[in-house]
Amino acid sequence: MFILGFLCRRLFQGIVIIFLVTFLIFTLLRVVPGDPARLIVGGMAPDEVVAEKAKELGLHDPIPLQFVRYLGDLVQGDLGNSFIRPKSGASFGGSAYDDPTRGERAEVLGLIVDHLPLTLQLAALAILFSLLISLPLGIAGGLNPGRWQDRLAFFSGSIFVSVPNFWLGIVLSLLFSVKLGWLPSIGYKGFIYTVLPALVLAIEVAPFVIRTLTVSLAQVMQEEFIAIAPIRGLSRWRIVMAHALRNASVPVMNLFGIQLGTLLGGVLVVEYIFDYPGLGLLTINAVLQRDFPLIQGIAICISAIFVIINIIVDLAATAVDPRLEY
Amino acid sequence: MPAGEVILDVRDLSVSLEGSAAGQRLLEGVSFKLEAGEILGIIGEAGAGKTVLARTLVNGLSEPLRVSGGQVVYRSRDLIALPRKELARIRGNEIGYIGANPTGSLDPTVSIGQQILEKLRAVQPDLSKAEARERVLEVLAAVRIPAPATRFHEYPFQFSGGMMQRVMIVDALVTNPTFLVADNITQSLDVTVAAQIIRLIRELRERFSTAIVFISSSLPMVCDIADEILVMQGGRIAEKATPEAITGRPKHAYTQSLLERLPRIWGPEIEAPRTTTASDLLRVVDVAKTYRVRRKGSFAAYNDVQAVRGVSLTVGEGENFGIVGESGCGKSTLTRLLAGLEAPDRGKIEFQGKDLGSLKGSALVEMRRSFQLLLQDPYGSLPARMAVGRIIAEPLLIHRTCPKKEIRERVLAAMAEVGLDPALENQLTVGLSAGQRQRVSIARALVLEPKLLILDETLSALDPVEQSKLLELFARLQRDHGFTYIFISHDMALVRKVCHRIAVMYLGRVVELAANQSLFENPGHPYSRALLSAVPTLDDHPFKTRDHLLEGEPPSPVDIPRGCTFRSRCPIAVEACGETDPETVPWSSDSMVACHLAGAAGLGGPGDPGVRHEGESHAQSA
Repeated sequence: MFILGFLCRRLFQGIVIIFLVTFLIFTLLRVVPGDPARLIVGGMAPDEVVAEKAKELGLHDPIPLQFVRYLGDLVQGDLGNSFIRPKSGASFGGSAYDDPTRGERAEVLGLIVDHLPLTLQLAALAILFSLLISLPLGIAGGLNPGRWQDRLAFFSGSIFVSVPNFWLGIVLSLLFSVKLGWLPSIGYKGFIYTVLPALVLAIEVAPFVIRTLTVSLAQVMQEEFIAIAPIRGLSRWRIVMAHALRNASVPVMNLFGIQLGTLLGGVLVVEYIFDYPGLGLLTINAVLQRDFPLIQGIAICISAIFVIINIIVDLAATAVDPRLEY
Repeated sequence: MPAGEVILDVRDLSVSLEGSAAGQRLLEGVSFKLEAGEILGIIGEAGAGKTVLARTLVNGLSEPLRVSGGQVVYRSRDLIALPRKELARIRGNEIGYIGANPTGSLDPTVSIGQQILEKLRAVQPDLSKAEARERVLEVLAAVRIPAPATRFHEYPFQFSGGMMQRVMIVDALVTNPTFLVADNITQSLDVTVAAQIIRLIRELRERFSTAIVFISSSLPMVCDIADEILVMQGGRIAEKATPEAITGRPKHAYTQSLLERLPRIWGPEIEAPRTTTASDLLRVVDVAKTYRVRRKGSFAAYNDVQAVRGVSLTVGEGENFGIVGESGCGKSTLTRLLAGLEAPDRGKIEFQGKDLGSLKGSALVEMRRSFQLLLQDPYGSLPARMAVGRIIAEPLLIHRTCPKKEIRERVLAAMAEVGLDPALENQLTVGLSAGQRQRVSIARALVLEPKLLILDETLSALDPVEQSKLLELFARLQRDHGFTYIFISHDMALVRKVCHRIAVMYLGRVVELAANQSLFENPGHPYSRALLSAVPTLDDHPFKTRDHLLEGEPPSPVDIPRGCTFRSRCPIAVEACGETDPETVPWSSDSMVACHLAGAAGLGGPGDPGVRHEGESHAQSA
């Protein structure tokens, strides 16, 4: 019953957020310079072909009208077609405006569905790696404030946060792919290709997790119920595992909801460096090619991911700490 | 009590602060014995080392404290020297511990039943899960927690302080320990709830035959419960004797001074403060305040919390007016309304004949100068990064009541008046004691030359010595400036000492409004009698806990029951109480009571006039 009310409210809020994002992106893309019709038909096309294309796309209508039309398609699950990318998946060069292959454009939804799983796989592995790095460091630091474990956590966090991801990506691929030949790094031909990019992303996210975990665990360890627990007869192991970590995990979970932005930003750079065919690479190319429908589609998709992940995070946090109101 | 086996033998115990140059001793040469089933009371002021002793008895000291000498021998084993593994078998199992802060003692994210179960299974691993669960439920019922099977699954934040302390008692007793340390377990509780807990501890001692070390800073409470008392001063034992000997023939000078400083409440020589008040300063007419709070776990449902439900009172000029009641009775909300921090939903508050509700903008700001609020927490109510002089000057800067040049002069004058060293002017508040901080607050209120000071538990965070000094300061300021005070307090002894008239609040209403002498000698409302019966005192108590103490806790201000709201806990309720909420009627020449049965047979004070009806009482008071 609680869950139902919570979900209703949060999903409604989420839809409002996605709507606002859509509106913002749509408007911004309409006011920046550049003529989509010219982009579609190509530089060689005569002006009348451009005008015809523009009319066909409804580009001369007022922006609000265009937006309503777009929303109408959107609720039917139609994100539009890419301006640039052909259905065949092949890139095109300077083909003429009357080249028949120009007619068939790839659907935005299809492009996203093709690329999203790879990015989700990358993100999941990155989170796993970052937990593997930060849990031991953070727990040791939180349990021994002021001692060397605390300082180790702090220093490693500082180093991780100071390393630029593009530099680390290049160095790691040089080391593991070129010198040692252990891991592949360019493109994607199987799961193993995800490891190196995920590692780079993990190191980008880890310092925040380490810091939050250290601080919140150290704080929980100061609480009265922890101080009194050994007198009540609980073992140190149980106190830390069943009570301290449970309480300290709530801020860490909230952090993941927020750090999603960092993760996605990192995805852009890392996918570009490793030529990893995920959503990040798709975004960069879409922006470079001014592929408006694709940019819009990706923005909507990302805001939806944000909304869903934050709902999950809040649900999980409430499951751990019932004091948090749904 | 049966003189049985010696359970605990503390020998020459010393505890010191590690790292301090002189090796500061917090406990020195403490020795005593505890027999099976005995209750040993330990009394002393703040800083006497009571809590350090309590923690040392269970070998629960944390850094930088360290046992520097002596032994705590529990059944021929020294707990201090015992290896960790063996200690774990005893502590929490044969030895129980209850602390002063029940609400912080359990993990807030796990249900209380689970946590007690976890503890029981940790110390008695042979117990099956079902057996352990049954045992927890049984003890939960034994401490009279209503609906134990439901409450088993509830979380610590769903319990009131008093109920949570019962939970902690269950937590300690569920293993049937031979010996229990109760460290200041009533400190954070209302007097009525504290009295319930004391009664419970006494009952449970009979049932579980547990030896108890009962630590408290309230001498009357310790005398009430203990078989023998240790008086501690500065980490040493000053005196050890029976309660009768402590109160009757104290040997040590410190014990004598403790007894002398004890506030008196009843007795032939006690005289209630009197005043002759000329005119009304503050008139409160039927004010009410309801808060809307979103109901937890619902989509769009709201709870109406009726914090104040129709309070009427007048405060005369130069009067000390007291407002008392248990936590949650609406005292603080009423304070906020009186101080003009919030507007009442209904009714009006007149200050010097002007309706606060009708004032707007600058007129309201100007009016606010005349009444100042002093809060309970001396730490949270002062900005940490501002110098003392600047803090006191702040109101003058806001209200611009005096030229800039004179501000410093006024600040220094105010500091001198409240007894603050002028050298503090440019210092931060960091090193100040609680008493000094309250003086800064008082000076800050003083510079605006207010007429009314509202003291919301202002003195309850201070120790008795500092408290009496500040009371003297308040009295002097009243003589010099003609201040009027409203004391909001749960401390009946304080109210007895300083207030002229007192309002007793219950669930958002004033149930009795009486002059000091009337309230303490001849209370008309059963709730007033219950409050008085719960006050720990060595005086000859006219209201026995046995007859008047309440069980349970007030109903929730969300679901106010029909009829008299006190009915659910009233020892003398009759059928009529369930029908209508009683009107406030005059009870004696200087008191008013809201009770259908005001003064029912045998329960009134000395001048008990028996049951009366509304018409009669009007006639009598006329």
